[in-house]
Amino acid sequence: MDFADSETMTVTPPHVSEIPGAGIPGTEEKLQNWQIDRSRAPIATKIVIAGGFGVGKTTFVGSVSEITPLQTEALMTQASEDVDDLGATPEKLTTTVAMDFGRITLESDLVLYLFGTPGQQRFWFMWDDLMRGAIGAVVMADTRRLEDSFPALDYFESLGLPYVVAVNHFEGTPLYGPDDVRDALSVSPGIPVVTMDARQRVTVVDALLALVGHAVDVSPE
Amino acid sequence: MTGGSGRGARRPARVRPYSLTGGRTRSGHVLLVETFVASLEPADGPVDGPGDPVPTGTPGTRMLPEIRAIIELCRRMRSVAEVSAMLKIPLGVVRVLLSDLADQGKIRVYGTGRGPGQPDRALLERVLVGLRRL
Amino acid sequence: MRKILIVGAGQSGLQLALGLQAEGYEVTLMANRTADEIRSGRVMSTQCMFHTALQHERDLKLNFWEERAPRIEGLGASVAGPPTPEGPHTRAIDWVGRLDGYAQSVDQRIKMAGWMELFEQRGGQLVIHGVSVSDLDFFTQSHDLVLVAAGKGELVSLFGRDAARSPYDTPQRALAVSYVHGLGPRPEHPDYDAVRCNLVPGVGELFVMPTLTTSGRADILFWEGVPGGPVDAFQGVTDPSEHLATTLELMERFTPWEYARATKVELTDAGGTLAGRYAPTVRNPIGELPGGGLVLGVADVVVANDPITGQGSNSAAKCAASYLDSIVAHGDRPFDAAWMRDTFDRYWATAQHVTKWTNAMLAPPPEHIVELLGAAGALPPVADRIANGFNDPSDFEHFFYEPEKAAAYLASVGA
Repeated sequence: MDFADSETMTVTPPHVSEIPGAGIPGTEEKLQNWQIDRSRAPIATKIVIAGGFGVGKTTFVGSVSEITPLQTEALMTQASEDVDDLGATPEKLTTTVAMDFGRITLESDLVLYLFGTPGQQRFWFMWDDLMRGAIGAVVMADTRRLEDSFPALDYFESLGLPYVVAVNHFEGTPLYGPDDVRDALSVSPGIPVVTMDARQRVTVVDALLALVGHAVDVSPE
Repeated sequence: MTGGSGRGARRPARVRPYSLTGGRTRSGHVLLVETFVASLEPADGPVDGPGDPVPTGTPGTRMLPEIRAIIELCRRMRSVAEVSAMLKIPLGVVRVLLSDLADQGKIRVYGTGRGPGQPDRALLERVLVGLRRL
Repeated sequence: MRKILIVGAGQSGLQLALGLQAEGYEVTLMANRTADEIRSGRVMSTQCMFHTALQHERDLKLNFWEERAPRIEGLGASVAGPPTPEGPHTRAIDWVGRLDGYAQSVDQRIKMAGWMELFEQRGGQLVIHGVSVSDLDFFTQSHDLVLVAAGKGELVSLFGRDAARSPYDTPQRALAVSYVHGLGPRPEHPDYDAVRCNLVPGVGELFVMPTLTTSGRADILFWEGVPGGPVDAFQGVTDPSEHLATTLELMERFTPWEYARATKVELTDAGGTLAGRYAPTVRNPIGELPGGGLVLGVADVVVANDPITGQGSNSAAKCAASYLDSIVAHGDRPFDAAWMRDTFDRYWATAQHVTKWTNAMLAPPPEHIVELLGAAGALPPVADRIANGFNDPSDFEHFFYEPEKAAAYLASVGA
């Protein structure tokens, strides 16, 4: 329950009606031409932003998205067996997991989506869904809690999907170099490690560039 | 059909009429989170909701407010994830409803504009160029 | 037309989906992978199905691979004797029984991918999505019945553990599967195929069985290791060739008679290995959602036995057949909690025998079972009866569990 609440703190609630079916005026920020032209759709691409809770995924997405980040929520069961008794109520058995996403129109016919998703191993089935057809993943790391990044690293490593590690530097914490983080996380030499500040758009773009550049490098000619 | 006679009284396989799918097969409708969809109704016309001649009552045929909301929202090009987030309908439900609507010819599924699997090198280079311009 | 939604595209989910579709139901099937992803992915099981389960597939005309899959005509058991200082383990018990009807194993990557495509071709609605509780909450309102048949997913925890029917709360074996080409026949009877159960007391079991896989005929080497023992050696092994090498080393050490025909094997493909462990668990068949809706669990969602008796896919097929009958017989009446309970109880009437037998096999065998297994070496009818118990485990009730019944049975066949 905890992380879901934390994840939502920095998110502006989508300004849509709570009632499905009601009109949704004023939801658009800046309307893109491709949104109106229903004769053809742009090409859609996506990048997954993964990492432990509180690592700055939502901030990352918000810094670069052309829309206020949107959020989908899903109720999940509590996987632990200790709540697994017949007397437990359904309420006690569920927790909320949130996925934030933003959008960047790169060209009139090319759109990039960013999906921020929680890092725990039990959400891997959501990643399977998100990673289907994705360019790759940015695994965010917080130097104070590097271990939170382990599940995401294991996941992308085992699937052989393109990923980079983005160290989100928080003010007032020691600034570690990418090499220190690489050592601490045992990231293999071929994987880019970048330091960034999720609040600063330019460094967020750099992290995305690092990933896409890496994806180009490992993609077959 | 009652009791244990179910096996013996089995009806022949009833296959969904071709006309219902508008000539499209269902396969190919893998709705990724970034897949684009839009309503097939005119942009400013009335929403011809699936309320049309539908008997009420059973859960199977009851008109769902969510369906009208999706058709309304998709007057503009939307991604599957946007439909879920903006209407606050769980992603799996959106996928099922969009799949229904596509089969009924009320929604057009545009896809992602790229092949299945990881994006190819040419597309990655285009994304790289686009990001550099930001 | 009644609308039924099924979560999970394994043996039970797809068999039910195709069965209901043929009965005229409007079926939505939700799977977390596409057919292509299943086909090119990792093996999922050993799926050796015996006659009754195969017949359920034939009844629905879904036995598309029957002509290509090897026919498994026997089932053998070998028990390793104590290790000798001068040499490796030898066999204290060794026999093979003939199956009344043949068994077959078809790689689920082939079968599930094929069935999924068939379901779509027949107009079924297939939606690729990892289902969450919020999705289910909605579907219980929009559909007449929601079935959860995804035994490996997180939705399983919607169904409370039935402690009275679940004697174990931790995994009793560590599982390691390898699909291989190049395995030789057992020299004692090279003329027909059989499942080989090799029991190494205190250590674990090695099962060897022929199968049809994506690259044709192959064999499955399947170790079940007692947790913490020498065969519990696969955790953290991610490299498939290391997985196979470990499998073979353990065969050389504990079952040299099987290793002798495995010296030239190679993995069928990079996805040809699987490792894991889980606690055998029986669950409450009805899951209640936060919104009050009810879902019914199917097959290993509600009854998950250890694979030591090879019953997983058999149970899935039997559960799907039983549920299909219950659904059709219920006509247009609501699928309420009472119906769900009845439907499960009807399945449990046969499933309970599988659970009882499987849990018994996980424990060290009592003296009378050792005697029974030993007698089968000299008395073919005993070997045949044990072998055919894999098809119908309810028969073990009559001669297996109680020393008196075992003795009476052995006396009746002239032991």
